[in-house]
Amino acid sequence: MNERVETVLMRMQRVAGQISVATQRIAPTWPLDQFIAVNPYWGWVGRPITEAAAALGTLASTRLTISPEWFRAEWDAGRLKPEHLLAAARAHIGAQTAIGSMTSDPARAQELVREMMAALTQPAPLVLPILPIPLVTDMRDAGTTARPGLTWTGLVTHQISQHCAAFFDRHQSTWTMDRSRGLYGSWHQQLDADHGLPWHRGRDAFKARLAALPAEPQALIAKAMDALEMPQEGREAYLSAVLMGIGGWAAWCAYLRWQARLAGTDDSQIVDLLAIRIAWEWLLYDDAPAHETPPRGWALRWGMADEACTALQAAQRPEWLLQSAMEIAYQQSLISKLIASAPPAADAQSGMYPNVAAAVQAVFCIDVRSEVFRRALESVSPAVHTLGFAGFFGLPIAYSPLGSALTRPQLPGLLAASQTVSESAAPSLNCRQAAKDGSAALGQVVARQRQNALQRRQRWADFRTGANSAFSFVESMGLSYGAKLLFESLASTATPARLEDTGIAKNAAAALRPRLSQASSDPVAAATLAKGILTAMGLTNSFAPLLLLVGHGSQSANNPHAAGLDCGACGGQTGEVNARVLADLLNTPAVREQLHVLGVEIPAATYCLPALHNTTTDEVMLYDTDAVPESHRAALGQLRHWLAAAGERARAERAPALGLETLLGQNAALKQAVQERANDWAQVRPEWGLVDNAAFIVAPRARTRSINLAGRSFLHDYDWKQDEDLSVLTLIMTAPMVVTHWINMQYHASTVDNQRYGSGNKVLHNVVGGRLGVFEGNGGDLRIGLPMQSLHDGQTLRHTPLRLSVFIEAPRAGLHAVIARHETVRDLVENHWLHLFRLDASEDSVEQYRRGSWTKVNVLGDASAAS
Amino acid sequence: MTIFNSQATALPIWQAALLLAPALLSGAAAIFAGHRAKKKGSNFATTAVRKTATAGPAWCAARLASSAGLVASALSLAAVVWGWRGSGLGLRADIVGALMLVLVAFVGWVIVRYSQPYLNGARAALKGKCAEHQYVRWLMATLAAVAVVVTTNHMLVLMLAWMATSMALHRLLTFFSERPAAVVAAHKKFIVGRAADLCMLGAAVLFAVSFQTLHINEMVAHAAAPAPLSQSAQAGVLLVVMAALLKCAQLPFHGWLIQVMEAPTPVSALLHAGIVNLGGFVLIRFAPLVSEVPAAQALLVGAGTATAVLAALVMTTRISVKVMLAWSTCAQMGFMLMQCGLGAWDMALLHLLAHSLYKAHAFLSAGGAVRRATLAQMTRTTTPAGWPGWLLGVFVGISMLLAAMAVWRVLVPGIAISPAVWVLSGIVAFALVPLVHAQSLRRGVGWLPLLVLGAFGVSFAYVGLHWLFSTWVLPAIAQPHAALWIAVAVAFALLFLAQSLIRMAPQSRLVRGLYPWFYGGLFLDEKFNSIAFSIWPPPPPAPGPKPSSSFAMLPNSSASTPWSSHERAR
Repeated sequence: MNERVETVLMRMQRVAGQISVATQRIAPTWPLDQFIAVNPYWGWVGRPITEAAAALGTLASTRLTISPEWFRAEWDAGRLKPEHLLAAARAHIGAQTAIGSMTSDPARAQELVREMMAALTQPAPLVLPILPIPLVTDMRDAGTTARPGLTWTGLVTHQISQHCAAFFDRHQSTWTMDRSRGLYGSWHQQLDADHGLPWHRGRDAFKARLAALPAEPQALIAKAMDALEMPQEGREAYLSAVLMGIGGWAAWCAYLRWQARLAGTDDSQIVDLLAIRIAWEWLLYDDAPAHETPPRGWALRWGMADEACTALQAAQRPEWLLQSAMEIAYQQSLISKLIASAPPAADAQSGMYPNVAAAVQAVFCIDVRSEVFRRALESVSPAVHTLGFAGFFGLPIAYSPLGSALTRPQLPGLLAASQTVSESAAPSLNCRQAAKDGSAALGQVVARQRQNALQRRQRWADFRTGANSAFSFVESMGLSYGAKLLFESLASTATPARLEDTGIAKNAAAALRPRLSQASSDPVAAATLAKGILTAMGLTNSFAPLLLLVGHGSQSANNPHAAGLDCGACGGQTGEVNARVLADLLNTPAVREQLHVLGVEIPAATYCLPALHNTTTDEVMLYDTDAVPESHRAALGQLRHWLAAAGERARAERAPALGLETLLGQNAALKQAVQERANDWAQVRPEWGLVDNAAFIVAPRARTRSINLAGRSFLHDYDWKQDEDLSVLTLIMTAPMVVTHWINMQYHASTVDNQRYGSGNKVLHNVVGGRLGVFEGNGGDLRIGLPMQSLHDGQTLRHTPLRLSVFIEAPRAGLHAVIARHETVRDLVENHWLHLFRLDASEDSVEQYRRGSWTKVNVLGDASAAS
Repeated sequence: MTIFNSQATALPIWQAALLLAPALLSGAAAIFAGHRAKKKGSNFATTAVRKTATAGPAWCAARLASSAGLVASALSLAAVVWGWRGSGLGLRADIVGALMLVLVAFVGWVIVRYSQPYLNGARAALKGKCAEHQYVRWLMATLAAVAVVVTTNHMLVLMLAWMATSMALHRLLTFFSERPAAVVAAHKKFIVGRAADLCMLGAAVLFAVSFQTLHINEMVAHAAAPAPLSQSAQAGVLLVVMAALLKCAQLPFHGWLIQVMEAPTPVSALLHAGIVNLGGFVLIRFAPLVSEVPAAQALLVGAGTATAVLAALVMTTRISVKVMLAWSTCAQMGFMLMQCGLGAWDMALLHLLAHSLYKAHAFLSAGGAVRRATLAQMTRTTTPAGWPGWLLGVFVGISMLLAAMAVWRVLVPGIAISPAVWVLSGIVAFALVPLVHAQSLRRGVGWLPLLVLGAFGVSFAYVGLHWLFSTWVLPAIAQPHAALWIAVAVAFALLFLAQSLIRMAPQSRLVRGLYPWFYGGLFLDEKFNSIAFSIWPPPPPAPGPKPSSSFAMLPNSSASTPWSSHERAR
């Protein structure tokens, strides 16, 4: 008896372990209003990328490298060259041989190059399509279809997807389902009441079958796998494949779990989803007509998933070699520029900007779009010094617009907010104390006004969409939409109102300022926070008179994925709130006093000014300028002038990619065209976002200042000499490096397999539940990742799918220490999810990290010149 | 003043030209785009497709044609309003047709402007031809066909143009012909559409036999005669009504309308704003005849009311913005047909026009759903409403409508209100309930006064528009049988009760028990599929390994990135 209990317990534990493995492999996806980038392979970074690719191919027929035609086109265009192939072959051999034995193997290298050449010149497809191990659903699809024009896979996906949408929706439907039984329980309930599914054995037989299913998700999963005779060694793979069969909603459930874990709890709805999908497998197995029942022993193939994976990994070697070669081609051009721009030793000692004293220090987000603008701004005036730092400015905040019920994170998705920021009325300069009392009252008035306005809006929306009122709404108000159609169809250069100001009078909105309550209530804590931020920025001394904190955001109309173009470090919002909060913090006298105590001296002559870089129009909006002291007015005027001039240069640089090259040289017309584009409700490519990102450079700006990085590099300032305890390096490698890797992999995955990891065609997008995600067309799975229009201009791909090349200027020991201490960093670097390079300020060489040691990178161009 | 007894005054040639201009211009643009697609697509290597991918000239032609067409339609409306009415040359110049022509031209103008940036690079090639050229071609062809439908006076031309509209639209609905769902939905529409065309053909034959003419204005003149309609004429009217029900996607023939979200957004906007409602327009054209056939009225009221009530409830369970809008259209078309059956032709026309503009905007701005959800998140959820608040809402709704009527009676002495209009007004009064429905009377109700004012505004607009349309556009003809408007009143009272219950008692057994039925769309479409596809199965989708194959996976070859130019320089 005891023994049986024990075996049952052990079995339960084993199943729980298998479920846990399968669910951990799914990366989260954020809702549309906080659409930050995620590496969709995040659950796989513990394995080498080639192995993960083969496993994913075996499970779900996806691939991690782009189609062969693309490599061939690169080769034909001459951008991929023989020396890149050879370098890729050498790197591959280096990774295979034991550490220390640096024996070169020319014969082996030649063989690998031949492999690549064969792949590049073969007229037939380079690789055969991957045939994954089938699910029951796939096997049913080999027989009769569920309905004319609808496969079983399509039907199952549709049913689950519609159910999940109805279950998780909070904003679209007004008549909702009974959610009290949980995701799995409610699915069971809905299926029981369904009259439309084409069951082969009839609805009554199906209902009896359904009633016999275990009520508890985990028990169901265990029983289903037993019933399908799934061998133990194949269960993890099978469960993973089943879950990937409904990958979009699995990613949504993974998001819910991610958020729960950030908050210190947990969420297991992803297990419910897995149970639903596997229940379908079971039901379809039992419902199959006799001649379509999967043959006995079909499940044994899952037991051999590992072998299939190994075989596929070997078959995919040429693709990965070519992928490395493409990356080497890019790295070579970048490295040669970086070496050429290495400052002479003397300059390296004296600081970043030896020539001109800074009139303005401008801190930008590390985003690749900032690079274009920073270069433009620096070229306008040498008195502007720019820095790169994560655009949330290190503030661990969530933002709640005054008087609203919304609280949203304003920081990277990796982190949890610890404080909530809201607006308060700005105290006027003259009578601070009187205004303080008054401002609290003003805040209350504004909050009440807003709630009333929002309530009215809500009532009106109910009237518009109600089942019995929509008819009357159309008859009485419908004609007025003619004017709206006309208005929206005409081009406009107007700056749209902030969504967060809805329901507030314009002058009241102008008087409101987001602010950290700590700044006044607890200056000591606030100063500690400020010191940490300034240290991470590398900005603890030599402040310029104006310190400009520039967040960034995009501007587009009618765009479900608008948040994806905003600042990812700010949780898919604009960086405005963060910039304003930090500027306010650093300008607060009490905080400055405490900072002085902590050893950071911000001169009285330094003033912090928040700003927002509009990445669509390349305009920079300055905030809270009414509070700028008289002493800085002239500098402010000068700054506006510089920013406008920089905007013109940045727009000109981006114009050709937007198809506006005909307007080059006509600054006003170009600006107008860009603004109209940003307001156009039909525009599917308001800007190119982070397309073509490829590198992350962590070094003082001096290192990159003279280089045109073409908007492909993330830039983070870092001076290792000021980072003795490695705390800043650790921070950079565990946070910004991970975030840039997520962005890079989001673009990569959306490019190489848009069907699974991208959201398809924007002209078909259909927003689900107001914010959950989009469907492509009527239904199907929830779509995650980027739309094709964000990657492709209709003729060619705009994104080049290259793994991120990270360049850090730091000593070897420091980098080793961080890699050794942090598993995530180690996984990314050791498993080749990104390339890590080391810059050295004192030598003009670049080293690449390879399996725990550093290899000097030869610039191939020089080598060929020598020979 | 009225349009129905218009004598066959000959149409001056300039007016005929104005009426025909939108159709001719759109047609010319379609031919131009088609010509360009053919010319450049003949030897379709990848390079050819890439070269022609800039469909600039075709778009330019389409924009010019739609702008000129809009001007022409506005001028022809002005002429009709000025008093130049009549028919001739197979055309008809009257207010209804002219209003419809302006609507179609305006929606067409908006959609052409919208489509150019929206469709830019939406797919590389369509069956070896430049996809954008094909899009422009069939979009303009559809618009041309619709313009013919609304201006013609000849029943056969009407039937053929209506069919051509459907056929041209079919090409737009299968713009992504490799998507199985797109092909299936378009095929369903094809089946329903051809059935409707057969109905129209049958009606044309019957009318030709009964009335000895194919000119619509002459046919409807027979309705004014004291003699009752012949059996064959009555059968013809029933067939016209059937055609309208089919083309307006009434239950259970609604599936295609819901599932054509597989086409680009502006195609959905065009379909919902300018095409699905043509059934209503054709009925209005034959209004005097329809009013003579009680069975036709009963059919319209029965099918329309059922669809309006059921589809409206299904709509509230939908979870994606476009599918919700599609169910809404289905319900609104039901409402419009119900109004036709009740003889409230003026309100049906108003409904048609207003719904078109509203729905076109709703589709084109569907991407804004995320912003609207953010605003909803900013709004505090108040405590669930109680019945006292609900009663207050009912009270305010009724009193605001009565107040609006009283004001209009003072403004326009002698404004007449028929029983059917009382029923429709009652629907408005109850519709106002969610607007003024107090969430909780104990809380601050600072938002209430403005909303009461809003309720008055809505009522005022409603009564005023009714007066405007009934006086100036389409006077009421005959009163339907009392049973019809009583049935409508009962059906909408039930809808109101159902809606109130869903809102106030979402956990009740009745609401919970009904939910799966409405969530499943009453499972009508599945039944329709199994019958229709057993007769005529859908064709397979176009070959293609993956839907994303509509994008050519080629590297960025432009010299705009310094990296590539750098490489090339070396």
